[in-house]
Amino acid sequence: MGWNDHIQEHERRIAKARAMGSPKRLAERSEAGNLNARQRIEALLDPGSFHESGLFAVSRQPDMADRSPADGVVDGYGRIDGREVIVCAQDFTTLGSSSAVNNGRKSMKMWQTAEKNGVPFVYLSECSGARIPDIMGAVGMGSIGEGFIFSRRRLVPWADAVLGMSFGGGTWVASVSDFVVMRKGAVMAVTSPRVNTVAISEQIDPEEMGGWRVQTEITGKADMAVDSDEEALQAVRNYLSYLPSNCEELPPMADVPTGSGDEANRILDLVPEERRRTYDVRKVIRLIVDRDSMFPIKERFGRSLVTCLARIQGRTVGIIANNPMFKGGALDVDSCDKATSFIATCDSFNVPLIFLADVPGFLIGVEGEHKKVPGKIMNFMQALELATVPVLSVVMRKSYGQAYINMGGGRSDEMACWFTADISFVDPAVAASIVTGLDPKTEPERFAAAVEDYSLGCSPYDLAGQYMAHDVIDPRDTRQWLARMLEAHQRRRTGGIGAHHMQSWPFTY
Amino acid sequence: MAEIEIKSEIAGKVWLIEAGVGQTVEEDDAVIILESMKMEIPVAAPVSGKITEILVEKDEAVAEGQTVARMEG
Repeated sequence: MGWNDHIQEHERRIAKARAMGSPKRLAERSEAGNLNARQRIEALLDPGSFHESGLFAVSRQPDMADRSPADGVVDGYGRIDGREVIVCAQDFTTLGSSSAVNNGRKSMKMWQTAEKNGVPFVYLSECSGARIPDIMGAVGMGSIGEGFIFSRRRLVPWADAVLGMSFGGGTWVASVSDFVVMRKGAVMAVTSPRVNTVAISEQIDPEEMGGWRVQTEITGKADMAVDSDEEALQAVRNYLSYLPSNCEELPPMADVPTGSGDEANRILDLVPEERRRTYDVRKVIRLIVDRDSMFPIKERFGRSLVTCLARIQGRTVGIIANNPMFKGGALDVDSCDKATSFIATCDSFNVPLIFLADVPGFLIGVEGEHKKVPGKIMNFMQALELATVPVLSVVMRKSYGQAYINMGGGRSDEMACWFTADISFVDPAVAASIVTGLDPKTEPERFAAAVEDYSLGCSPYDLAGQYMAHDVIDPRDTRQWLARMLEAHQRRRTGGIGAHHMQSWPFTY
Repeated sequence: MAEIEIKSEIAGKVWLIEAGVGQTVEEDDAVIILESMKMEIPVAAPVSGKITEILVEKDEAVAEGQTVARMEG
């Protein structure tokens, strides 16, 4: 065999491995407007930066080796905005990218390398579930059991784009990722509808089981839903732009866009002075942060609380803000879970936290109790207590009871109140009703007098007078105050690297 | 045009009815305003479209998840 024979054979093998599944399947995807695994990697990474690992891997089953290029998962090294990342893309056209021994070995190697080398790990999920020939029998199950190790700690950011039907392994990875974006039409679930039907005789609509609405609105497992593969991959790029490559680094600084903060005066037009009236806090956040830098996390889940990444003077921050637009801003079970997971992520990657409080309290009642609301409130509180990143808080209007504390009251490195702030245990009208037993309909004057009594001593100046708030500010100065306090509260002794007490917290509550 | 139920996401009392039958609304426009948690809390249209039915009256108690109006969108 001469050199030319070697070269030709090598090139034939490369072409075959890169060809993925059948041309018919690839064409069907293309017609449906969906990218294949290799196109997705191209769209995700900086041009020309991909270097593949495991191109020549095939199925462990000898009779399937010939039709399992790369064993159905395209893995390798690349760059996003010039920064190194590791990526695994499931190739659904090859045996449904079913989870098997050799592609499991590939994925394990990639995410362990990402953690060892301190670079973000990106997974593109589209998986039919376990590969039955590989996993069947004692040896099959034993091999899979040995091969998959899920002991993730938040050492490097994990981002997952769910871009099609994703069952089994594709879903496990998404479930332990820091950020999950779904393409609308994709599904994320434990097993396929077919397996469900066989197992429990239930006919299931996949969208109803784990579609984007379920995962963004009911479970909160997906942080975002978009219309196309391209948008999902861009969302992953955007997400990673806010975070460091690993927990031992600081988030990258960005340029400050021209015009940032120019519309701060509009805050007074957006926020009603009357505390009963609602508004959308997302509009307020956009005026405070660097222009176009607000990146919402779980926007459709637990909507009475907004969590988002953003930048102030080019510095990444994690913002937690009550949104009176939904449920009056009252904190419920979902919004507590949302806050807890967001605090754990930000603290793990050295992202300072900013609380914007306008909260009437926790949403109490039978349903909340049945859903373990006390434990959820304390999880949220525990996360805040364990955080070692700088914590700043701003009380915008009302902030009552335990919710005041959860929103950073008395737990912040620096706390300012807007001059509209109103701090107490409960709304004065509630206190008047509970303590006096007066009915406002039958005794309006006495009731009004009682409300007046309980309204005394609730002002921001009362709090600042005891130095329990550190400043009282004009709402229009919020951006300036935050920018200055972010500088003042940098953790210089550790170079801004936190203790990361929540690194191994669960990813679902 | 699909019929869509507009549901309250919080328990409360109907304080204002902002939209009438036949009225065109945009997504996130307030259809009903509830009083709850000492706040005026809007029940918003989930999509843009036309209101076809209002199912509650002023001062009526509303449960979480209750359908308060219907619309075509």
